[in-house]
Amino acid sequence: MATITATPGLGTRSAEGAAIRAADLLRWSLDHKIIGLQYMVSSLFFFIVGGTMAMLIRWELLTPALDLMADGTQYNALMTIHGSVMIFLWIIPMMAGFGNYLVPLMLGAKDMAFPWLNAFAFWLIPPAGVLMIGGWLVGPPEAGWTAYPPLSTLFSPDGQTMWAMSLHLLGVSSILGAINFVVTIRNMRPEGMTLWKMPLFVWAVLATAIIQVLATPFLTGGLTLLILDRTAGTSFFDPGSGGDVLLWQNVFWFYSHPAVYIMILPGFGMVSEVLSVHARKPVFGYRAIGLSSMSIALVGFTVWAHHMFTSLQPALRIPFMITSMIIAVPTGIKIFSWLGTIWGGKIRFTSAMLFALGFITLFVFGGIGGIFLAAVPIDIHLHDTYFVVGHFHFVLFGGSVFLIFSGIYHWFPKVTGRRMNERLGQLHFVTTYIGTFFTFVPQHIAGALGLPRRVAMYDPQFTNINTVISLAAFLLGISSLFFIYNILRSLSHGERVGGNPWRALTLEWATTSPPPPWNFRGDPVPFDDPYGYGSDESVAYLDAVERRFPAPEESDGA
Amino acid sequence: MSEATLEQGAAPSAETIDNYKLGMWLYLASEVVIFGTLIAVYAVYRLNNAASVQHVQEELGLTLVSINTFLLLASSWAMVLGLREAQKDNPQGTVRWIGLTALLGTIFVLLQGVEYTELGHAGIHLGNEYGMRFYAPTAFHGAHVIVGVLWALYVMNQARKGVYNARNYLGIEIFGLYWHFVDVVWIFLFTIIYLI
Repeated sequence: MATITATPGLGTRSAEGAAIRAADLLRWSLDHKIIGLQYMVSSLFFFIVGGTMAMLIRWELLTPALDLMADGTQYNALMTIHGSVMIFLWIIPMMAGFGNYLVPLMLGAKDMAFPWLNAFAFWLIPPAGVLMIGGWLVGPPEAGWTAYPPLSTLFSPDGQTMWAMSLHLLGVSSILGAINFVVTIRNMRPEGMTLWKMPLFVWAVLATAIIQVLATPFLTGGLTLLILDRTAGTSFFDPGSGGDVLLWQNVFWFYSHPAVYIMILPGFGMVSEVLSVHARKPVFGYRAIGLSSMSIALVGFTVWAHHMFTSLQPALRIPFMITSMIIAVPTGIKIFSWLGTIWGGKIRFTSAMLFALGFITLFVFGGIGGIFLAAVPIDIHLHDTYFVVGHFHFVLFGGSVFLIFSGIYHWFPKVTGRRMNERLGQLHFVTTYIGTFFTFVPQHIAGALGLPRRVAMYDPQFTNINTVISLAAFLLGISSLFFIYNILRSLSHGERVGGNPWRALTLEWATTSPPPPWNFRGDPVPFDDPYGYGSDESVAYLDAVERRFPAPEESDGA
Repeated sequence: MSEATLEQGAAPSAETIDNYKLGMWLYLASEVVIFGTLIAVYAVYRLNNAASVQHVQEELGLTLVSINTFLLLASSWAMVLGLREAQKDNPQGTVRWIGLTALLGTIFVLLQGVEYTELGHAGIHLGNEYGMRFYAPTAFHGAHVIVGVLWALYVMNQARKGVYNARNYLGIEIFGLYWHFVDVVWIFLFTIIYLI
């Protein structure tokens, strides 16, 4: 691999020594770094879109009556598109963006195995976004992100068909991207890097990609039937004409539960990197973390029906309760391994580290809420209440989104050659943490007290708690503005850095920031242990990297 | 790098071969899941409504579909011979055999069209409980055959231009994986929908 020289005609590459410019992101490019950034920038755009919708939702819920919307239908459309955008156009593509940018660099490779396929997978996302949002022009989808029939077949206007087509495209994009990851990780590691010496992020991407290849097609199949039902006169999901509503629920959750791990596993990989680097300690239980990613991927296929405790045959409840409890075990192994990693370390409270530590605290809380919901008797009480909303927002925002923030603070210097502003990062962290906690913890309480989800109007007894939730959510909205401002400002004003500002041992840091078009000049030699911090060899290695890729002279930086 | 070498007709590296084959297998794995979903939808109905499904099957008859199954199996055989000709450095042979693959695939789709028309006359259409479950997997498979025929025409054209030889036949092998897969899916559909 490493001996192949740059061949012309492989599409646009970032110019030698120059940072990737905004205009590059609008072009068809085969450079995995540009594609990775295309994923990240477009998903950040959708984060703002979906976040704005969240703000509108919380504004509506400030009081028990209708404030903002003309009727409940508008509210249904808003929360449907908010959920779909956040899951399918923000978190999943963002994780794909990290994977695209980092995996070849971490493997010391020049690019992904199939550069053309990689670009193709990305360019399916913009049309999918247009279809999703464009539903508003023809009558938006109203069936929630889960699109249960008959809501999605008999009661939703044409936007629901566009929604299904949008998810179809995103599914294909996801499968093609995942195939690329598996092949790249299996075949393109440098000499000396066995599976057991791969960075943990790469392990996590591998586990994620396996889920994507095997779970996403279920959604593809289900969506095909849904579109047929809506357009071709079939009735797969209509019990009145010989169909079955449970068919959709089974197929949908057979994808969408594993999809939960598609959204969190790459983040688990990122936090393993960040904690080890910023605590200057080897990862505790490297193999346990790598293997627990794989076992989460496998067990993740056996728990789908815990979303259907109230619609399933009662005899199946207990088996699915047991598998759902089992999947907490590998997650617990990870949490303890991370705690073991920072235990006794020289912790540097950088913004990346703050978000990683914040993630651990919030994710433990969110995870315990998951155990509640996995228990059948409690779930039957809490089903379809705000407890569920609070739970999945807690693990998605306190989990995935915190890790995305952490990852951006950590790898921003590699991508741009500049550090993000730490002071703004701390402000971002504090406001986000408080906002997350006071938005989503009260939702658990309101749900336990009986507030149903997906309603625009509610019983006046829940007014106070909803006001608290909305105010905290607005704080969360403002905190994201700090983040966006920090990114934009740091692009031109951030402190200039060399190849390895955090003194990290994985290979993506053993090149310039930003990396040259083909990632490395010469063959990169991986350090034997990607997390061997603290040893004399690692210090010598890091000093050598620093001499080779020094920080530029402070001439125009901040 | 790997994609460029395929076009230029040079022998692909071992890594490129590995990449393409693994990539194709993973793609096929995801296809298995989609077909599995559609077949399961049919199978569940079949189990719950055994009597009425048997009635429909008796009406269908097996002649046409047996001919079609034979054609598809023969096309896989032609595909293998086309690959063998490339390995023997005989591009003309590859063009002929892959051409036969494409021809047999085309006849398969046409006969499926004939079958659908007859079924339509017999009142089996997408609005039926049976019809929708029958057409979804078979038509999805038919779409795969059409894609396969187009792919075969592309491979034929590449062979005509002399891209393939005894050192470079990866393009045919990858197409072969796809074509054999489509064939195997048909064996399952034939067994589950027409025979059982």
